[in-house]
Order: sequence, then C-alpha cells, then structure tokens
Amino acid sequence: MSAVREAEAAVLTRPLLTHELGSLGKPNWRVRAVAGAPIEDRDLEDARAWGERLGVEGQEELLDLLKQAPLERTGKDEVKRWSSRYGVRFLETVGLDVVYDGEQQRSEMYQWAVAHAEGFEARGSVRAFDNKYYSKAAVTGPIGLREPYHNEEFAFVSEVARAELKVPITGAYTIADWSFDERYFTDTDLGTPGRAASRREARRAFILDVARDLIRPNLEALIGLGAGWLQIDEPGGSTDPAELDLFAESFNESVRGLEAVFSTHLCFSDYDLFFPGIEAMTQCRQFAVGFANYDSRELGTRTEDRPGYRVLPKFRDLPYRPVLGVGVLDIHTDFIEPPELVRDRVLHSVEVFEDPTRIHVIPDCGLRTRSWEVAFGKLRNLVTGVELAKGQLGL
Amino acid sequence: MSGPASAPAAYQHGIYPRSEAVVAATRDLERGRATADLVDGAYRADREAFLEAQRVAGLDFLSDGLLRWQDLFRPLVMGSEGLEARVLVRWFDNNSFYRAPEMAAAPSLREVPPWVLEDGIPEPRVATLPSPYLFSRVTLGGGRPDDLMLGLARDVLAPAVARMAGTGHRLFHLEEPWIPYAGIDEGSWPAFERAVGLVRDAAEGAAVVLHAYYGDVAPHADRLRRLPVDAVGIDFVGTGLDALPAPWGTGLVAGCLDGRSSVMEDPAAVAAFVRRAADRLEPTALYVSSASELELAGPEVAPRKLAVLGEVARRLREEAG
Repeated sequence: MSAVREAEAAVLTRPLLTHELGSLGKPNWRVRAVAGAPIEDRDLEDARAWGERLGVEGQEELLDLLKQAPLERTGKDEVKRWSSRYGVRFLETVGLDVVYDGEQQRSEMYQWAVAHAEGFEARGSVRAFDNKYYSKAAVTGPIGLREPYHNEEFAFVSEVARAELKVPITGAYTIADWSFDERYFTDTDLGTPGRAASRREARRAFILDVARDLIRPNLEALIGLGAGWLQIDEPGGSTDPAELDLFAESFNESVRGLEAVFSTHLCFSDYDLFFPGIEAMTQCRQFAVGFANYDSRELGTRTEDRPGYRVLPKFRDLPYRPVLGVGVLDIHTDFIEPPELVRDRVLHSVEVFEDPTRIHVIPDCGLRTRSWEVAFGKLRNLVTGVELAKGQLGL
Repeated sequence: MSGPASAPAAYQHGIYPRSEAVVAATRDLERGRATADLVDGAYRADREAFLEAQRVAGLDFLSDGLLRWQDLFRPLVMGSEGLEARVLVRWFDNNSFYRAPEMAAAPSLREVPPWVLEDGIPEPRVATLPSPYLFSRVTLGGGRPDDLMLGLARDVLAPAVARMAGTGHRLFHLEEPWIPYAGIDEGSWPAFERAVGLVRDAAEGAAVVLHAYYGDVAPHADRLRRLPVDAVGIDFVGTGLDALPAPWGTGLVAGCLDGRSSVMEDPAAVAAFVRRAADRLEPTALYVSSASELELAGPEVAPRKLAVLGEVARRLREEAG
C-alpha cells in the first residue's frame, strides 16, 4: 500500500472518529434559486444568518447573487456551489473529524446517479415514507457512464474544506434495487418454467453491470483526483436476504484492485440478515450502520439498556476486522439526542468491541429530512457526547 | 361476494400511488410554500382520477386508493388508544418504510378517522386493512405476539371493520405479506384462525379475503385455505400454481400482476393463466387483482397496470359468457 493510502488508513483507525454520512437538507434559498424562483426576504435572512453562524467567507457575494434571482444556468450552478460551501462549513463547525458537503450539489443520491448514466429512463415518484419520495427510473438500455458525476463536486469540496474528506457515492446494488428492470428480465408469463431462476440470473447481470460500468469508473475518476476515502452508500443492501451474495459481489466488483479506503453505509434493515453474507466483502474497511432508530432513549451502557445495538457482536466478529461506524442519531425525528445518550451509546459499543479504534461515531443516515437547526443540534451533541465518552475512556 | 368461480370479480387492493401533483403539494406544504387547502384539492383530484380509472377498467369493487394513508397501519394507530407510530422500519424488501405501531397500553379503537370512510366513493367498496398476524408482528413492545394478535383483532380491527361495513364496504381485503416473507410458527396458527374469525364476524355479511404476498405462498397454502375467510389471495409472481393444493376449497384472489415491476403484462396471457388457475384449483369464488399493492409501481406505471387488470377481467368474463 502506498504512503498516501497508509495515511488514509491511519485516519480510519483513529479512535472514536466522527463523521457525517451524506445528505443535509437543502436550504430554501438553494431550492428556490435552482428552481428558477424569486428569493424571498426570509430566505435571504436565512442565508445571511447561517453564513454568519458558520463563518462562511464572502457570504455577501451569495446574498448579492440571490438578490438577482430568478437566475440563469450559470447563476444556479454558482448557488449550488455556495450551498456546498455552507454544507462543508456546517459540518466543520459542529466539530466532525471527517466531512463532505451534505451532498448540496446533487439532486438526490439515486436520482443524481441515474441522471448521469446511460441506459435509464425516469418513471415517476415513488414514496419512501410519509410524504417523502424518490424519483424512480427503469433500466431500458446498455448501462454506461455518461460522465463521471462527482468529479466537479469533489474538486470544489477539496478546495473549500479544512477538515479531512470522505466522498459518499451511491452503490451498485442500491441503484439496481431501486430501479425498475425493463431490460434484463421482461418475462411476465407467470407460467414460464424456471422463471425464478431466470429472474435471479437477470438480476445478477443487472447489478454487476451497474458495478462495472457505472460505479467503478466513477471511483477510478475520484481516486485519480486524489480521493482517499470513498464511502459506498448501500441503503438497499440488505433488503433481500436472498441477494446478500449479489450485494457483496457487486461491492467487490466495484472496488477490486483500486487503491483507496472503501467503506459502506447500511441503514434501516434487519442487520442480522447481513451475516454471513458480508463476510465476503474483504475490501470493506468500515461499515457505517444506523442503530439509533431502533434504540431506547433512556441512558445506560448495559446490553439491556441498548436494544438497538444488539447486533454489534456480529460486526465485531467479522474475520477481516473492519471498523464499525456506529449510528447514534435517529435521523427521522426532531428529538435532539442529549450528549449523555450519545456517550452511553458510544461506551456500550466500545465495551462490545473492546477496542475504541474499531469504533467511529456517526448519525444513522443523512440528515436531509431534518431542518438545519435540528441537524446542527443533533450533530453538535454527537461531538459533545463523543468527548464525554473519550473522557470516560481516558482517550 | 363475487359470483360463481367462472365469472371473476376484479378490484384493486392496497395503497395506490399519489400523483406528482400530490407529491409536489405535500412537499410544498412541509416547506411552507403551499396551503392545506391546496393539498386537499390535490388529494381530491387524485381520488377522482383513481375512481374514474377503476370505472373505466370495469372493476367490481371500488376503493379510495388509501391515498391519504401514510402507511398501512397509520389510520388505525391514529384512531386507537394505546398505540403510537414512531420508528421507521423497512417495508419488507422494498425501498419503502412504515412507522411501526408501538404499544403504550392495551390497544383499543377510538374511531376510524373520517377521511378513511370517504363518503364520496360509490358502493360496493373494498377496504384494505392489515391482517391481524401482520399487525401483531410489526407492532413493537406488545408482549406475547399471539396474545397481541388476538387483542388487535378484537379491539382494533373488528371494531374498524364493523364501522366500515356500515358505510358501504362490501369486501374487506386483509394484507398478509409477513407469512410468505418471514414465515409463521406452527403454534401460532390456532390464534391466527381465531383472530381472523373475530374480524370476519364483524364484517356483517361483507366478504373477507386474506391476501398473502411478497413471496412463495405454497408452503403455507394448506393452512391458509382453511382460515375462516371467503377467499385467500395468492401472489402468483412468487408462487407456482402447480405447488398449490387442489381443489382449493375456498375462494381465490388471483394476484396476477406484478405490483413492483414496470413491465406491462399481456392481458391475454394473464387471463389464460387465471383461467388455468381456476380450472386447476376450482375455487368457490374467483377474484382478480394485483399480486401486491400498486403503490410501489409509482404514478406513471400504476394506471397502466390498472387498465391491464380491467382488460384481464373483461376477457375472463367474456370467456365465462
């Protein structure tokens, strides 16, 4: 491994390292400006107040730009970059060790990827939960990369950021799983013999084509630009227990032979189902997993106090000893976890792993469904809670 | 009730996808850019469009599409004492989530939310509700699952069914994806039968069907068909026809359209398949519908599936004379 990669690995094994996980909500001024709408006074005030709070340099330029809305294409792109700058400063200001930009330049983790890919067509909005939706596409033709779709973003964030970076990129399995398939398996005859086996073979071909022809070229491009830690987001990873082998195979196919630190993010699943399937993901250095959503809000570090974390021993016992990013913030509620609750979740995790260098501390998932005020409070308490835990552990 | 097995009744069960207009309106409401009246208007337009699509398709039982339901359990949770909804849990193997009912006290139905009763939908109506087994398995903090199942059936589902039967619902469709997906302990069957019986007794003569989907139903088919319901629904996307016991001995809901695929079925081929299923299983009553709810097909695909369903039913009726 090169010296650069060794340095990256050293970051990865820093005890109780904190990092973000992906998306933040998009400020109203960013949404309205990019939609071509005029900016209201309250949006300007929001941009001003957060800019001041986060110490964003030159925010007056943004305010001047917003006052010119509705904007043309170049102005909209400039607003996206400002939003990206705000995102970086937001995550740095709360005190996280490793940051990105809250995915402010992207539309949405799935939509952004398929919009820059060959072979997909939009098929409308499908609900994720409550009043939250994602734009679903169908694979209709040969899959290909139209253009590396995180390069400009990464180059910009690299220039802006003071903290260390980790680049989130949506994984192959999730892209395939969240898409309709109108190319690989189109047999609708319920009476076809061997239909289930044919369907699985088609599914495997679809997933691996995404890995080889869409994700891997993106990873190569980012590594070429100097990205050292790439987080492959796979919220779809455990949706079907019978396909865990395909999920693991797609991860391996995406990263095989590439020189960087690779991790993966999983959330909102029955994590027991991952085992033993993910034992095959030997190049995965860190699993970032959401747990707080399933946990009690009461304090305590005993196993019975932390019902959301009962699967930790299985991650601990993986043969290649990956780091576990432990989700300590429920991203689906406005409840601000007190630092003491974060502390206890961290202490419990360290106790299970018996090794703080194998524990990172993270939110369960991206915080895009929370307001910036709520996200700020949650992340600030995450950092404070980690400090409390470090104090108790003598770190 | 449907007619004789040779003349199927068609209907669409479950949550139907919201239109892009409702998606935009609810999003704008949450961002303070739209009023509640605007959102209500968008929902009304969706309901009218779905009603019209069902009429054009010639469906026999009409639904409001559960368009305002945030998930399959939420109105029951909202209308009950002792239940709340908080934790998001994945809806089986989908990129879709429900808020798991959480038991704070013994659950008891207080009211069916008025918007569930939907006065504007013509009769006969079909209602979709969770099966008592599913309901008990998704509920957190409920103690012994089979006791919880009986409690939910007696004190939540049965009162809801009784209330809805009085407002023109003539078919109650109970969604049961848990059993094909995750299985059921042998020892839970007697309690499940009693729970389903409680729901059926409350239906005041309306038909009750239990629909098993999201997986292979065949391993459970023999017990399912002995449940005290008027018909058992089968997900034929995940279940081989030849693996089912025959004669079926009860009614059959042929779940014959893939609710999670955007590939359109050929109505002639589907009609032929359903006819073969009816010939082989000899059900006492025959219904046709989608294998799973159409919500996950999205607003672009679902109306086309609904039209296919109508065409399948029309062909089957024609064949039956």
